[in-house]
Amino acid sequence: MKIMVAVKQVAFLDDEFEIRDDGRDVGEDFFEKDLNEFDHFSVEQAMLIKEAAGGDAEVVIVIVGDEDADDALRTALAKGADRGIRVWDDALAEADGIAVAKVLAKLVEREKPDMVFTGAQSADFGSAVTGMALAGFLGWPHAAVVSNLDYASGARTATLRRELEGGLEEIMTIRCPAVLSIQLGINQPRYASLRGIKQAKQKPVDELSLDDLGLSAAEVAPASRVRRMYAPERGKAELITGSAAEQAARLAEIIKELRGM
Amino acid sequence: MFFEHDPQDVTRILFQNFPTWMAVRFYLIGAAACVVFAYGVWTNIRKYRRGVRSGAWSPFWPRVWQMVATVLTHRTIKRRAEAAGRSHSWIFYGFAALFVGTSIITLEHDILEPLTGLTFWYGWFYLAFSAVLDLAGVALIAGLIYMMYRRKLLALPRLDYTRPDRSPGDPDYDRSGYRREDWAFLWTLIAIAFTGFLLEASRLVWLQGDAVVWDYRWFSPVGTTTAYLMKALGLGPDGAAQLRLGLWWFHGMLALLFIALVPYTKVKHIFTAMGSLMARDTEAKRRMPTANVDGERIGYSVLTDFTDKYLLNLDACTKCGRCHEACPANASGYPLSPRDLVLSLRELANDTLSHAAMPKGPITVSGDGVNMIRSETLWSCRTCAACVEICPVGIEHLPMIVQMRRALIEDGDFDPMLQLTLKSLQKSGNALGESKRKRPRWTKNLDFEIKDARTQPVDVLWYVGDYASFDPRSQKVTIAFAKILHAAGIDFGILYEDEQTAGNDVRRVGEEGLFQALAAANIELLNSCEFSSMVTTDPHTYNTIRNEYPEFGGNYLIEHASAMLERLIREGRIPTPVNLNYRVTYHDPCHLGRINDGAEPPRQVLRRLGVDLVELRRIRENSFCCGAGGGRIWLADPPAMKKPAELRAAEAAEIAGLDVLVVNCPKCLNMMEDGVKGSGNEGKFRVMELIELVQEAMGLIGDTTSDDGDNVLREAGAPA
Ligand SMILES: Cc1cc2nc3c(=O)[nH]c(=O)nc-3n(C[C@H](O)[C@H](O)[C@H](O)COP(=O)(O)OP(=O)(O)OC[C@H]3O[C@@H](n4cnc5c(N)ncnc54)[C@H](O)[C@@H]3O)c2cc1C
Ligand code: SF4
Ligand code: SF4
Repeated sequence: MKIMVAVKQVAFLDDEFEIRDDGRDVGEDFFEKDLNEFDHFSVEQAMLIKEAAGGDAEVVIVIVGDEDADDALRTALAKGADRGIRVWDDALAEADGIAVAKVLAKLVEREKPDMVFTGAQSADFGSAVTGMALAGFLGWPHAAVVSNLDYASGARTATLRRELEGGLEEIMTIRCPAVLSIQLGINQPRYASLRGIKQAKQKPVDELSLDDLGLSAAEVAPASRVRRMYAPERGKAELITGSAAEQAARLAEIIKELRGM
Repeated sequence: MFFEHDPQDVTRILFQNFPTWMAVRFYLIGAAACVVFAYGVWTNIRKYRRGVRSGAWSPFWPRVWQMVATVLTHRTIKRRAEAAGRSHSWIFYGFAALFVGTSIITLEHDILEPLTGLTFWYGWFYLAFSAVLDLAGVALIAGLIYMMYRRKLLALPRLDYTRPDRSPGDPDYDRSGYRREDWAFLWTLIAIAFTGFLLEASRLVWLQGDAVVWDYRWFSPVGTTTAYLMKALGLGPDGAAQLRLGLWWFHGMLALLFIALVPYTKVKHIFTAMGSLMARDTEAKRRMPTANVDGERIGYSVLTDFTDKYLLNLDACTKCGRCHEACPANASGYPLSPRDLVLSLRELANDTLSHAAMPKGPITVSGDGVNMIRSETLWSCRTCAACVEICPVGIEHLPMIVQMRRALIEDGDFDPMLQLTLKSLQKSGNALGESKRKRPRWTKNLDFEIKDARTQPVDVLWYVGDYASFDPRSQKVTIAFAKILHAAGIDFGILYEDEQTAGNDVRRVGEEGLFQALAAANIELLNSCEFSSMVTTDPHTYNTIRNEYPEFGGNYLIEHASAMLERLIREGRIPTPVNLNYRVTYHDPCHLGRINDGAEPPRQVLRRLGVDLVELRRIRENSFCCGAGGGRIWLADPPAMKKPAELRAAEAAEIAGLDVLVVNCPKCLNMMEDGVKGSGNEGKFRVMELIELVQEAMGLIGDTTSDDGDNVLREAGAPA
């Protein structure tokens, strides 16, 4: 029985920052890197399943990232996962969720896990595509934004609850293996002490290149490209008060004003 | 010569008129008592040796001497309990004299005389001996009677064994056994002393016709007075002979029973307290024990992780309750009493480590089981060291608590709120969830530039600290201190973005790995800078850099801001032209007043400012913690609970006409301002930092300070 958890090292933006000279990203001095908040929850979920099975399950952490990303990988390993895999190639420098999902799909073929978790989204870019794109490439059953999971190690199906728009929730049973993207709050993630993180250095980590996975640089070309990053201009706000009729009148006035009527 | 008789005859004949079988029986019983005693001592030592070896008793002789001095002067027992200390010294000296006296007799009668024929217990020596022992008996009885009065009639809260960490019905709630033991101890000792006098008196009545006894009777004044009383009640020599035999056996058996029971009852504190005082670590309140962060495990999760010294500590506790009374957590209703923590662990050790075989599984120490320490108990501690400071027998509760917390941190057994703080500390080196870049932002408020100590040599390197850097209220104080240093012409600098928290609270919360990483990074940075001394406004930072960094290779001269201000004022480098017309009181920060002997400089500063200083009830080393320490400032106090700071604010409010409660620590400032509000004293007096008063007296106030700390943050909060 094996659970694979994909984790990402994300950037935490300082509240005062400058855009890089090429205008396509924030300058490196203005953020700190850490494990994606959502991934704390997916790793915890995997650990809970492992522990419920009396330890009879292997939790493999996978990450696409350069050497820097080792910190995030080790933080996840320190929580009790068994081993890690880090994939990197300079061709991945601008990878988006789709490109990352392609890499992850190769890793799934290689590792043959019984269950794959990703975070519902990443705290920096927040596109929420990686997990679902991965399921798409694999052709596996999937569920996004899972907020409750009932799954025993090695079971054929899992019952889960997931969040929908507008505060709705869906309860579903899914065939395994499956790809689930895990929502915040599904559990209470454990703390990885700094000592644990240091000691996680001793856990086995495979470092793989695109070659090792039989992928070419062209295959992981990103589906999207950031052209420009900028802070939106500050708008105006006005609180409209009064009776419904008065408010409607004021609104109409503003619209006319803006349209120059 | 004074003697009409041969001095050799002026003595007490031992076993006088005893048939041989009776004396033999006595020796057999005596020997049995010694065997029971020795067995008990051995099982106790075996119990302690089942802990980790600490080497805490070396160097041996210097430790013996300082222990002997402590015991003989009763220094620690008299502290803040003069009457109890005095009566204990009567009991101690009375008991010791009687014990030594009996040993002298044994030495002569059973060892020297049979072996060498040498005797000395006669004549003058004998008479002086009698007089001294009579006095000793009186002292012993007087001391015991006071202790009985103290327990029964004074009903001191510190002697109430009700536990705050358990509720009625819990299997380990009931402590009435301790109370019964206390009384049995007092009654047994007093019975031994009384029967000793009665025995002495009945011997005199019995031998009243024997001039060699009767003529010297007044060398036993109490015995003789009692003998006259017996005679007046109609006791004759024959009756007295019988009474004497009965009393002899009763007194002897009671004394032997007492000796046999020493290692099994609270009487053992005679030895365990001495062992504990000998092993005492004078740095225990300053420096937490260093742990190997690369080891398989960390902290104390099972009882056998405790060192032999701590296991002995557990047995040394006399339940005097001083720590229980001093503990701010206990005083505010949290489920922690350092006394009960020690006693729980003692019971756990007695249940598990005192049998021939060790229990099969690990002996878990923290948890909800019987005699285990609950995690909410451990998380209630403010690491204020009031317990360590007052314990008369040298028990070190605080390092034990920190060691147990280390295991809880490793197991993730703590408030989720703390996790956010620790993650923030891992990520950006501060506890407030702020980015590194924001750390020096307060400096933008100054109209001069502070030197960057990373790139230029400075005379004084100022270690600002977390709260002083980020907390909007503390920033005002930080800005004030910068202005004072600037005005005094001090050549100083700071570490800007690269300063990280020094780690005092990180260590005390039990995150030793993170503490050591922070210490290593800070020391590496400090060692790359050029400066001659350091200063900080934060007593926690001060404590850690001063006392804990040397172990990791960081040796710096560091001053607390209050000591530096005192020096600068004394040297005339900062003029204080304005006399402040306030009535103030001063709250000693634990990490300065109690833990680092820094109670005097801030008071000197206050004196120089011309304020009217009225002291609080609990001051200097007896200060009452504001509740912030040990990482508690990162955790919310449940709204239903009283906060230590509220108790402290109420204490300050007792002072009539108080204008300012002066604090001397960024964390105290934060806690006490809340405490004043929470205790309903808002508007009655202000809470101010010592630095702010100095600034006012210097006439530096009035420009940009009042609200700018806030503004800096608000402006900064908007995206660029
Ligand atoms: C119920 C619901 C409510 C929503 N509400 C809002 C809203 O209020 N506001 C709003 O703006 N949007 C909202 N959305 C839209 C949603 O936020 C976007 O679709 C989403 O932000 C995108 O997440 P993501 O692509 O960053 O995740 P991704 O970045 O695609 O995926 C993150 C996960 O993928 C894996 N991963 C990513 N990179 C790597 C890597 N390099 N190596 C290994 N693993 C990796 C990790 O497991 C990580 O946790 C909502 C969507 C749903 C379903
Ligand atoms: S350190 Fe302070 S809070 Fe902690 S147990 Fe001792 S007295 Fe109580
Ligand atoms: S631990 Fe020390 S101070 Fe506390 S009750 Fe025991 S002997 Fe007294």
